[in-house]
Amino acid sequence: MQITKAAATHLTPEIILLIGGTLVMCASVLTRKSQREDIYAQRNNFAVASLMCLLAAMAARYYRGVPEIGNADLGLFRFDASALAAERLTFLGGLILILMSWSTAPKGRFAEYYGCLLIILAAIPIVGASNDLVSMFLGLELVSFPTYILLGIVRNDNAGAEASLKYFLLSAFASCFFLLGVSYLFGFCGSTNLAVIQGSFGEGKRLMALGLLLAICGLAFRITAVPFHFYAPDVFEGTSVTMAGVMSYLPKVAGFVALIRLLGTGTLSPGASGVVIPVLLGCAALTMCVGNILAVAQNNLRRMMAYSSVAHTGYLLLALVALIRQDASPGVMYSYLAAYAAMTLGLFACLGEIEAAGGKSHLIGDLAGMFQRRPAASIGLTVALISLIGLPFTAGFWAKFMVFVGTVADRQTDSISMLMGALMAINAVIAASYYWRILSTLYAKSESNVPLRVFRPSLFFAYTICTVLTILWFFVPSAM
Amino acid sequence: MNILIPLLILVPLAFALVIFFSGPRAKAMVPFGILAAALTLLLSIGLCFQVYQAPSTLSQNAGAAQATIAPKVSFISETLRFVLPVSVAGQPIDWQLSFGADGISALMVLLTGIVGFFTVWLASSQIRVRTEAYIALLLVAISMLMGVFLSMDLLSFYIFFEAVLIPLILLIHGWGDGKNPQAASKRFLLFTLAGSIPMVVGLISLAMAPLANGQPSTVAFSELSAIAAQAASSGVPIGSKDSWAVWLLLLGFGIKLAILPLHTWLPMTYAAAHPNTTSLIASVVAKLGLYGLLRIVIPLTPVALSIEAQLVVGTLGAIVIVYGALVALSKDDMREVLAFSSLSHVGFITLGLMSMTREGLGGAALQMFNHGLITAAMFWILSMLEQRHGPIRLRSEDQGMAAQYPKLAVLLVFFTLAGAGLPGLNGFVGEFLTLSGMMRVCTTLVAIAVLGTVLGAWYGLRIVQRLLFGGNGTRTDTHNRPLAGVDLTPREWVPLVAVGFLCLYIGLFPMRTMKLFQADTDRLAALAEPVSKQIHRDMDTLVVESTNP
Repeated sequence: MQITKAAATHLTPEIILLIGGTLVMCASVLTRKSQREDIYAQRNNFAVASLMCLLAAMAARYYRGVPEIGNADLGLFRFDASALAAERLTFLGGLILILMSWSTAPKGRFAEYYGCLLIILAAIPIVGASNDLVSMFLGLELVSFPTYILLGIVRNDNAGAEASLKYFLLSAFASCFFLLGVSYLFGFCGSTNLAVIQGSFGEGKRLMALGLLLAICGLAFRITAVPFHFYAPDVFEGTSVTMAGVMSYLPKVAGFVALIRLLGTGTLSPGASGVVIPVLLGCAALTMCVGNILAVAQNNLRRMMAYSSVAHTGYLLLALVALIRQDASPGVMYSYLAAYAAMTLGLFACLGEIEAAGGKSHLIGDLAGMFQRRPAASIGLTVALISLIGLPFTAGFWAKFMVFVGTVADRQTDSISMLMGALMAINAVIAASYYWRILSTLYAKSESNVPLRVFRPSLFFAYTICTVLTILWFFVPSAM
Repeated sequence: MNILIPLLILVPLAFALVIFFSGPRAKAMVPFGILAAALTLLLSIGLCFQVYQAPSTLSQNAGAAQATIAPKVSFISETLRFVLPVSVAGQPIDWQLSFGADGISALMVLLTGIVGFFTVWLASSQIRVRTEAYIALLLVAISMLMGVFLSMDLLSFYIFFEAVLIPLILLIHGWGDGKNPQAASKRFLLFTLAGSIPMVVGLISLAMAPLANGQPSTVAFSELSAIAAQAASSGVPIGSKDSWAVWLLLLGFGIKLAILPLHTWLPMTYAAAHPNTTSLIASVVAKLGLYGLLRIVIPLTPVALSIEAQLVVGTLGAIVIVYGALVALSKDDMREVLAFSSLSHVGFITLGLMSMTREGLGGAALQMFNHGLITAAMFWILSMLEQRHGPIRLRSEDQGMAAQYPKLAVLLVFFTLAGAGLPGLNGFVGEFLTLSGMMRVCTTLVAIAVLGTVLGAWYGLRIVQRLLFGGNGTRTDTHNRPLAGVDLTPREWVPLVAVGFLCLYIGLFPMRTMKLFQADTDRLAALAEPVSKQIHRDMDTLVVESTNP
């Protein structure tokens, strides 16, 4: 009972978000009645309401302090640095995404849209705090279901339907994988508690390793690791810019914190890590290469960003391996995700502003001469792209650098680790080629030089925050 | 705590930012940019004087662990301490960044100051579109280059080394006027990144070297070089990690200095970028690779380098001398001729570095400076010619410029001779020293390289012959009207004459210049020579054998 009470105290921000999300969704009943109400007023009301929810959750997080729980290993939840970091990452992304949604949310569906977004934001910290397979699965499904709805409502055309159906079917399939693995783990350990499961790995328990691998497969779908990445380009293409931002960031955070929880940081027994680490390394190598090579071939900006997000998953998987081997602290992963949030969401916010102002951002060629037409957004894009390449004076530099250090620093005599480092370096170069293609298009000459003058403050704030954070975090990497 | 060091990095950067954000008044900011570059030049001269007068640190701690890299002036601030959330061997990474200068850095800072100032100066008349943005980007590039030369640890070296790319690709992309500046800038970016990103893995390996002694990892050059010197003297066998590190570092620096199979970005970039941009790239940026060899590879991994790669890279250097010269002979486009001639000259410096001897290292350091001055001057001259005539081709229609531009002709002949290695001018001293250094290690390579000096004189004189002489001195445009050309204006000849005097001075009094960095290269040679001798048993015997058969 005491544990439950402490958990409830600790989960206050998430509870606030869940209640807020539910209330916002219920508000749709009210808005349906008053058909004549101004759509702009509705748009502002819902955005402000969900922003208030998020700010309330942040405030609750700030005033909560760090509660002490005796015997932390036994409960459904466990509140440690990882849980706090997952919360911080989610709220950071949430803030930017709500700002982005302000002028891109689908008309007439504001209530459902913001309700689902808030529930996703509540669910990821739950995954991050989970100490039990049941709470983890609950959290993961609480991310998935609102995502299906969001994908379904943001676009009403065939591409939108394709995206949402594809995501729904494959995601359900991935959940089945996860559950199958979980059932094996439960069958062998007699417990769903993660601490118990990680402790009970020994030599010769092959079927348990199978269970672990199946659960990893289920999570690999969320983080778009190859070979579970096939939905990514179609989903990114068939949805709004903001939802593409959501899809590139939030499921990734959920999947990676779940992986950290499942595999532990150094708590995995040698028998289990002997099975898991080669699989993860192979998956990382495949994910990096496939993501980057396919991204080079794209002309469609969204598909390119989808493959770029796949490639970043590969780098993050290397960071995950470093965590499992205790070559790095979990901070590597969280810093990378924070930097990734700033640069990718910043990029999507800039694209969103270009679209909102009447420009097109479908193909790379659509951005030709954008520096003349929309200078502010182009500077935001430039910073985001330089950061994605990983050049200095942006957060992306530290993100990549730390993965390199985590991968090779302590493994100088291990050729496989050195090779993975070299492979990541090669991939970073391939990635530079397609990011540079976007970057050079921005400054190219084009026939249409009509300036885009429509100003959207919320999008402007969104990418300004991202740009400032990207540059600031270079100078203060410990704040990442 | 030396205040000049942060100022050298921050002054050009701050002025550049002011120009960027000056909005509608940006057009009037050009003199402001020249002022910034002049200030930077003054600061770099000041730094050189400080280093020149600083007491040698070698005598103070002669008995202690001998750090090969010992900055004479330094800037270390507690605020530049980076704590990364990565732990190695259970310890979090806590790296202190430090800046400083020894003789070699001071020399390169001076080169950056001189070439940077005159490039900005000439840009104000050469660049017609968005001049203020061009100058601002040049200033950013100068600031980043200063950062590379002044950093005294791996991390800040790498950060600035990478950051140089950003202004340069924008300069090539935005103001290139050759065939395809877009493709050239992309190739430049990708080639450089293909070297520098794998290099991170090598740099991290180097930073982990103290772990073997149970000390926390560090990035400071002085500590790392002391550890490397200790390992070299105690004869610890090299492991696989050292060979990983040295090859990855050589890849990174090799691409930057355009060693033979990795050179294809260079002619394309030089042909596409504006000659004024190229002068900075060819004279300073191409030196980054050589400087990296001198600063990181030789002092920090001497044993692994001499076992694995000394003669491989040396051979590539010798081949590139001849190859560059031959291609330069066969090209007609003046930009390409100069690009390949620069490639060929860099080969001498590589050769000197890879000799790992006292003469070779000293000569390479000096030649880095010399080559920077000569190449920059050649590209400035090309830029002035192109402004008058458009693309310059070594064909009949461009003959006879001496009659039209006598001042320019004199200067072109002067710098061509300096580049060809005429005794009395600076190119001779550097090339002679690098070759005599290599002579002690491998005579075959010197024999190949000497061929390059002959070819170098040949293509140099070919430029002079095809461009300046011949024809009847009256040049006509496409409608057969005689072209009216203006000889060099004071604004144009002042930089050339200034640099020319410097070339003459170094050629006549090389020892005065070498005094600046002699102590540093000697210390490096004291480490590298015995190591190299251990590996190449017949070193120093070849010379004797060839003279006494």
